[in-house]
Amino acid sequence: MSDASQDVVDPNAPVVGMDYFMSLHFNEIICPVVRRYADALLEGKLIGHRCPKCGLVYAPPRGYCPIDVIETTDADEVQLADRGVVTNYTVVTPVAYYGQEATEPFAKVSVQLDEPGGALSLQDVLEIGADEVRVGMRVEAVWAPEAERNIDEIGNRSWGSAEGCIRGWRPTGEPDVPADQMSDKAF
Amino acid sequence: MAGDIAIIGYAQSPSWRAAELTEPQFLFPVITEAIERAGIGRRDLGFTCAGSCDYLSGQTFSFVMNLEAVGAWPPISESHVEMDGAWALYEAWVRLQHGDIDTALVFGSGKSSPGVPSEIFPLQMDPYTITPLGADPVSLAALQARAMLDAGKITEREMAEVVARSRRSAIGNPHAQVTGDHDVDALLGEPYLTAPLRRHDLPPISDGASAVVLATAGKAKEVCERPVWIRGIDHRIEVHQPGMRDLTTSASTRMAGEKAGVGKAAVDVAELSATFSHQERILCEALGLDDKVDVNPSGGALAANPVMAVGLSRVVEASRQIADHGKHRAVAHATSGQCLQQNLVAVLEGD
Repeated sequence: MSDASQDVVDPNAPVVGMDYFMSLHFNEIICPVVRRYADALLEGKLIGHRCPKCGLVYAPPRGYCPIDVIETTDADEVQLADRGVVTNYTVVTPVAYYGQEATEPFAKVSVQLDEPGGALSLQDVLEIGADEVRVGMRVEAVWAPEAERNIDEIGNRSWGSAEGCIRGWRPTGEPDVPADQMSDKAF
Repeated sequence: MAGDIAIIGYAQSPSWRAAELTEPQFLFPVITEAIERAGIGRRDLGFTCAGSCDYLSGQTFSFVMNLEAVGAWPPISESHVEMDGAWALYEAWVRLQHGDIDTALVFGSGKSSPGVPSEIFPLQMDPYTITPLGADPVSLAALQARAMLDAGKITEREMAEVVARSRRSAIGNPHAQVTGDHDVDALLGEPYLTAPLRRHDLPPISDGASAVVLATAGKAKEVCERPVWIRGIDHRIEVHQPGMRDLTTSASTRMAGEKAGVGKAAVDVAELSATFSHQERILCEALGLDDKVDVNPSGGALAANPVMAVGLSRVVEASRQIADHGKHRAVAHATSGQCLQQNLVAVLEGD
């Protein structure tokens, strides 16, 4: 028989922590419309779907327009510009959580593409510091050389990613678009 | 209280071992079909509630993307449960009781194929004492089946008979994934996967979705020729730690069944989320269903198991028995957690 008093937790004892590392593995089939988008990226092209009803352009294509709730197909495919305007941005100040490799503040921007339109979010900015990024800034894609392009990071869950093929976006040096013209395009 | 709520539309996707389409992509036609079948406009919906799981899809806020299949602009009133769509139906049923809206859309969806169930599901368990053991659904269900066998509540032959009957019933069901005519002796001749379970005692790994449209009594009578009435619905949960309850019975199913009024009249048909073969016996006993009840005419969860939709699909299949096959009174059951930890029971009737 053990002494029951030994089981009573000392209220003044320090709190004991426990590390429990777990990993989950996912192996996803890339859906057909994203597969086409990824193949186009390897060729140095951005493609999207234009909704036949409202005209909004979705990049990457999703296979539907969520506004009009209609399906879109290859017939709605359009080639997109690889230049555009920064509509919104976030400066991330990295904290050293597990897996975070960045140590210095960096910007992630949304780019509204020139005609026929479409928008990509969470894009990297090249050649300038995070503190120089601004809404209305004109930018162009910096493509990786063809031999170095890969679509390893393109998946169904990475809407808008061009990682592996577009390294980021650099300022074109053209005059900014007035920021208030972007106010209904913030996302 | 708005009184009785009716199911006026429903639809299911096929059940795929590994869907090529994304979750919102395959939800898209399912939701559209359910709304069209209900005979109302998408903009008429007063409320939308979804059930899905970020852990299955491997993405935070994946349910937000699923809303793209609904048509959420201009903004709609919606909610989400990190549970099977059957619990989303429960929330919508409660919401309709307020009486200020008259219709609601409910859907459940999931892709089990990209992940590894034996990695994901232990995370449902107690994180200190059980998850680190790697207690996955098959291992826990095997312990439950062993307890059933030891208690003399079922035999391995009876388990195989459930499988044979379910797969045979599923023949011709376009939403079923595993179908076929099987000899019970042949099934018993197969090796154990995790004793005492053989592979066929397990559900398939499935991707899929289902959707239901609900309406208040007044609206249902206005737009629907053969509404399916929800006469009772209840859900109950038991203790998290599976070692602290009798796994050979289901007190929560029994209580939910009593509250939903299962025993008030004869039951024609039951669609039960018996994800493992031996669980059908536990559920029938807890709900007081005898041999006269047609159990899982769709083939049930042993024929198609799109996690997060499979419970709502039981409601769809039970509704179909009433609306299309002339049955009068049906029971639909959904479960959550391991070894039937949490259970929802709905009693459905035709006019």
